[in-house]
Amino acid sequence: MSTLPHLTNIFDRLRRGYHLGPDDEPAFSVLCERFDEYAAYFAAIGITLVRHEREFFYFNAETQDTVPDTLPRIAVFSYIMVDHAANQGRAIDEFIFGHNFLVTALPHFTLDRYTALLRQVEVHDLSDLENVLNHMERIGWVKWLTDDEFRFLRPFHRVFSKCIELAQAAQKPSVGDSDSSSAISEGRVNRDS
Amino acid sequence: MRLIRANPGVGEELAETAWRRLRELQILIPTEPGSDLFFIAEPVARLLNYLFNEANPATPEIIRGYVASLEAANRQLTRALDDEDVQRVSLAFEEISQTLRRIHADLNETQNAILAEVTRYKTERARVSVRQKYRRIVHWMERYVEPMIEVVRADGPLRSAFDETERLLHRAREEALLNDHPALTRNLRFLRVVSAYALRVFTQCRKEIQPLYESLRRSSFIAEGASLALEQLQAAGLLRWGDEYLVGVASWRYQNVPSDVAIVATLRRVIEHPPESPPVLELTAEEETPDALVRLIWLESLPSLVTNNLPVQDLLGWIVETFSGRNISDVLAGFSALVFHNGFRATFTDRELRTYVIAGDEITASPVKLTST
Repeated sequence: MSTLPHLTNIFDRLRRGYHLGPDDEPAFSVLCERFDEYAAYFAAIGITLVRHEREFFYFNAETQDTVPDTLPRIAVFSYIMVDHAANQGRAIDEFIFGHNFLVTALPHFTLDRYTALLRQVEVHDLSDLENVLNHMERIGWVKWLTDDEFRFLRPFHRVFSKCIELAQAAQKPSVGDSDSSSAISEGRVNRDS
Repeated sequence: MRLIRANPGVGEELAETAWRRLRELQILIPTEPGSDLFFIAEPVARLLNYLFNEANPATPEIIRGYVASLEAANRQLTRALDDEDVQRVSLAFEEISQTLRRIHADLNETQNAILAEVTRYKTERARVSVRQKYRRIVHWMERYVEPMIEVVRADGPLRSAFDETERLLHRAREEALLNDHPALTRNLRFLRVVSAYALRVFTQCRKEIQPLYESLRRSSFIAEGASLALEQLQAAGLLRWGDEYLVGVASWRYQNVPSDVAIVATLRRVIEHPPESPPVLELTAEEETPDALVRLIWLESLPSLVTNNLPVQDLLGWIVETFSGRNISDVLAGFSALVFHNGFRATFTDRELRTYVIAGDEITASPVKLTST
């Protein structure tokens, strides 16, 4: 247990909310190889290390009394991105992960509806959008390629998982609908019992 | 021309060029020389008619119709065999043959139509939302593929009809009625081919559509979830937008963490603390009665002692005189115990104030009379 490699680095990044994905070598590889050992180590100090089925890692967030302002901003930004992707006619993950995006070409201020939603979370202009993206970079969801170009990283799948969770929760009352009754598997691999 | 202009192809020639080529190839033919009125050449019209009206995927209803036709032909064949009517047996053979040909042709068309649809989904450039695509693919799955597999599977109705037909054809052969009829052998062979082909076609179609269906289904769910979250934010506002719409992110901060130096110092203090003997408890009985206990016993004896002297005209005076050795604290405690005792009533008198001398001290008070309740 005491020989777990890169333990300090891994813990220090995960505890800040960072998601370790394939871009984060060598931490990612050692987590893939020795996930059970790391999970057991962190479990001993009361922290759940989650391995998402899309193969990335993060610490399970505890329920917080006060929600940081950044979380609603990231959520609204992401949902708008998904909503826009859904209208492009391609599979959503293919659209999100198959492109690099320019901040100036983002869809967030193209519709009044989007603008109004963003205003609720104090995001008013491109500069605010960049701040949101900086937060998302700090948790390992996006990566800046240039000053105004970025791409989404694999941990952005957490947004998709949340969307599926919300859609399935909304469909629960309509039991008998064969289409909705079969749940889509999406999310963490090591669920809490 | 209006039709050509309304449906331009990507990177195609001008509408005028297309119009000229249609006339050169005699796909469009004027009704009479020099006329502005054109009609489509007959072979092309026939082809279009076929594509529009016949090259369509078979629905479960169509296949069930074929099953019904086959069952009717089987009944006809049974009666003909029973009657040993050669003419009617031949007619039944022909009907079975035609039905099998139609089923085979429809299966071909179905496979082509479904493959074309799948290709169209994958290459479609027009912006059709994921939800619309998903609805369309679900339509194909639910309308054509899934129910059809139920019909054509090994224990489905089509297979049952085929088995019955095969049994009757064998019967016809065994009864030597028409064992050299070419339609008999052909039908037997065709039955096996069509039966296997039907199942294969629909299994293949399902395999083609399934990945697309799964992908679109997932995308549709994702889109729906995001849409729900945004709608809720729009309707309820941020303050009522629940945490369930947020993606939780861990944030563990160090708080009041002791330094290594402090931990070492604390441990050193514990380790180097001088040993100390544990306290020894005295568990044996005391030889002398404690003063407090003696006082308590005296206070508890007062009510019975005063009862013999009731009524007492001056309670404090009685206590001071009767227990002259008691100090002022004991006297006042005894006085209180009797005044507040449930068995007695204490009453202030109108007599003048009196000074009581108690163990060298003095108390000046109005005398209190004590009587029984």
